[in-house]
Amino acid sequence: MGNWPGVTVEKKEGRLRGRKDVVIQDLPGIYSLSPYTLEEVVARDYLVGEKPDAILNIVDGTNIERNLYLTTQLIELGLPVVVAVNMMDLVRRNGDEIDLEKLGQALGCQVVSMSALKGEGGMAAAEKAVEAAVAGRAGELPHVFTGSVEHAVAHIEESVSGMVDAGYLRWYAIKLFERDEKVMESLRISPELADHLEAHIADCEAELDDDAESIVTNQRYAYIHGVVSRAVKKKAAAHSLTASDRIDRIVTNRVLALPIFAGIMFLIYAIAMGGWSVSIGTRGTDWANDVLFGEWVPGLFHSILTGVGVAEGTWLYGLIQDGIVAGVGAVLGFVPQILVLCFLLAILEDVGYMARVAFIMDRIFRRFGLSGKSFIPMLVATGCGVPGIMASRTIEQDRDRRMTIMTTGFIPCGAKMPIIGLFAGAVFGNSPLVAVSAFMIGIAAVVISGIMLKKFRIFAGEPAPFVMELPAYHAPAPGNVLRATWERGWSFIRRAGTVILLSSIILWFLMGYGFEGGSFGAVEDMNNSLLAAVGSAVAWIFYPLGWVGENAWKLTCATITGLIAKEEVVNFFGIAFNYAGEADLMEDASGLYPAIAAAFTGLNAYSFMIFNLLCAPCFAAMGAIKREMNNAKWTVGAIGYMCGFAYVVSMIVYQIGGLFTGETTFGVFTAVALVLLAGIIYLLVRKGYQGEAVRNLRSVSAAGI
Amino acid sequence: MMPLSMAKPGEPVIIRKITGRDEIRQHLAELGFIVGGEVMVVSELGGNLILQVKDSRVALDRTMANRIMI
Repeated sequence: MGNWPGVTVEKKEGRLRGRKDVVIQDLPGIYSLSPYTLEEVVARDYLVGEKPDAILNIVDGTNIERNLYLTTQLIELGLPVVVAVNMMDLVRRNGDEIDLEKLGQALGCQVVSMSALKGEGGMAAAEKAVEAAVAGRAGELPHVFTGSVEHAVAHIEESVSGMVDAGYLRWYAIKLFERDEKVMESLRISPELADHLEAHIADCEAELDDDAESIVTNQRYAYIHGVVSRAVKKKAAAHSLTASDRIDRIVTNRVLALPIFAGIMFLIYAIAMGGWSVSIGTRGTDWANDVLFGEWVPGLFHSILTGVGVAEGTWLYGLIQDGIVAGVGAVLGFVPQILVLCFLLAILEDVGYMARVAFIMDRIFRRFGLSGKSFIPMLVATGCGVPGIMASRTIEQDRDRRMTIMTTGFIPCGAKMPIIGLFAGAVFGNSPLVAVSAFMIGIAAVVISGIMLKKFRIFAGEPAPFVMELPAYHAPAPGNVLRATWERGWSFIRRAGTVILLSSIILWFLMGYGFEGGSFGAVEDMNNSLLAAVGSAVAWIFYPLGWVGENAWKLTCATITGLIAKEEVVNFFGIAFNYAGEADLMEDASGLYPAIAAAFTGLNAYSFMIFNLLCAPCFAAMGAIKREMNNAKWTVGAIGYMCGFAYVVSMIVYQIGGLFTGETTFGVFTAVALVLLAGIIYLLVRKGYQGEAVRNLRSVSAAGI
Repeated sequence: MMPLSMAKPGEPVIIRKITGRDEIRQHLAELGFIVGGEVMVVSELGGNLILQVKDSRVALDRTMANRIMI
C-alpha cells in the first residue's frame, strides 16, 4: 500500500467483527521488507519476529505491478498469504480487467477483490485470511528467481537451514544474498560461513555484472511483469495522462502552486478560526462559550444543586460551579473550532492534496534544513500537536525527523488558540493581528530553529532527498474523514473529561485554601492561598520576562498548569480571576476580559503569550515526543530546547520592547537580552559545521547537476 | 545519457542508469524505478518532479531526479 500521511503509521490491533477469537494487526503501509523508513522496520519486525498466523496483503489494483513487489516478498516469508486487490471499483471504471484466478495460480495464494472506499469485499477478504490461518499451510513458493540467482539462493538456503525457522528459510536466504546487515547480525553468521556465502554472491554478481540487491530487484520485477501481463488487461494506453495527472499539472504548477496553497489555507482558517459570517468554527465556539457553558450548563447545575439542598456559597457548590463547570467549560468551549479545523484538514488528507503540499513546500523548507515532509506534521499540529508529532514518522532520515519533532511543538495548536483568543480579546481589543502574529511567531520559531540547529554538528548535513508516493486524487470518503476528525477531536475532549477535570479540582482547592490569620482553611484573599505560595516561590525565574507585581505568581502558576494542557492556562485565569470576585464567569464568558486587561500591560501580555506558545508543550505532546524520540536524552534535549528558546525570545521581546514603550529601563537584563539576540543572529549567519559528511553530500548533489 | 530532470513533461522515457548510494537506489527500485523501465514527467516545480512510473505517481526532488539517467 502507499504510505501517505494519515495512513497507519503504527501498528494497530483490533478484532474481527463477529469473530472474537480473531486478532487483526494493522501494519503501516510499506513498499518492501527492506527497512528504509521506520514503518518498514515496524512491519518487518512484526512479520519476522511475531510469526502471525496469516498475512492479508491489500494491494492497490490500479497499480498492481508495483504493489506485487511487496507481495512476492511476503510470500517468501513462508506464511499463508491472502492477497486482496483493492480499488476494484476504480479498476473496473478504467475499463481494466484483472483475472484473480490466474493471479492466484501464478503467486500460489488466494486472491480476492475488494473496495475499501465502497466498503465491498473487506469482510470476505478477512474471512479468507482466517481460513488460510486455520489451514496453516502456505502455498508453493512462486519461482521468482531464475538461473544463477536461484542457484546461489538455493546454496545459501542449504548453508543456513537449521539456523532459522524452516518457513522463513527462503526469506532469510534472499536477505543474506542481498547482504542485509541486520539479518546477518541477527543470525550471528560466523566469519567462515560469511566467506562461503560471499563466494556464491560474488560469483553470481560477476556473471550478471550487477550488484546483488539490484539483481534481486530486477528479477523480482521481471517475474511480476510476466505475471501481470498474463493476468491483467489494461484498456488505456500506457503513460496516458489520468485525471489525477491533469489536476497535478495545475495544482503543482510552478506559477500556481503557491497561490493555490495559500488560498486553500486561508479558506480553512477563515472557516475554522476567522471572525466572518462563513466562520462556522468561531460561531460554534462563541455559542458554546456564551450560551452552552455561559448559561445552560451552569444554570442546569444550579438547579440540580439547589434541588438537592446544596446552597450557593457552600464549598461544594463552589467546587462544582467555580471549579469543575467553569474549568472544564472553558476548555470544551473550543471544541467546535478544533473539530472544524480537524475536519477540513482530514478532507485535504483524504482527497490526496496533503501529499502535494509536502511536494510544494519541499523547496522552501529545504532552505532552512527541513524537508517538505516536515510540513505535514506541522500542519496537523495546528489542530493538535500529538498526531502532528506522530506524523513525523514518514520522514526517513533520523536527523530530519528529530528536528521536525523538536520544532513541531512551536506551531500554535488548537489548545493554544484559547490563550491567543483570551489576550486578543482582553488586552488587544480583539485585534485579528494577534492571532496572525502568533502563527508568524510559531513559523519564525520553526525557521530560526531549523537554521540554528543545522549549524551544530549533530544536525549538520542536507535533509534526506525527497521521495514520496502521491496518491491519486479522489472524492473524500465521508467515513474516513469523519473517523480522522473524530480521532483527533476526541483526544481533545477526552482530556477535558480526565486530566483537565482533575486539575480543575486540584487547582480550585489549591487556590481556595491556605493559611490565613494563622490557621488553615478557605481563604478570603487569594494571595494567601497555597497556590500563591508555590507560585510566588518560583516567580522570580520569570522576572526578566516582565512577569512582575502582585500578579506574577498567577502568571507563573498559569504557565505551570499549561503543562497539563495548554487550555488550562485560560481555565486557570478563569478560576484565578473569578474566585477573587472580580468577574463572574457564569453570566458572561468575556467577563474575564476586564480582570485580564487590568492585570496585564500590552507588553507583558505579549511576553507571556510568546512564552506559553513556544515553551514545552502539554504532557500529552511530551509523551508523544518521548515515544517518537525513543531516547531519554533526546526527549529532555527537545523539551529543554523549547523551554530555553521560549525563555530567550520572551525576554528579548520584553526587555528590548520595553525600552520603546518605556516599561523597562536599561538594566542588567536588557544587556543580557541584547547579548542573546546577538547570539541568535550570529548562529543564523555563521557558517555551518563543515564535517566530512556535509562535504560528501554536497559534492554528490553538485556532481549531479 | 542525460538526467531525468531534463526530460520533457508528458513524454515517456526509458531509464538507462541509476547512480547513488545503494540504500537510495534500492528505495528507488522499490518505488518502481529500475533500469530499462519507463517513466514520464507529469509536472515540474523548481527542479522537483512528479513522475508517473508503473501506474503510480511519485514525487522526487532535484537531487534524486538527477540520479536517474535517461
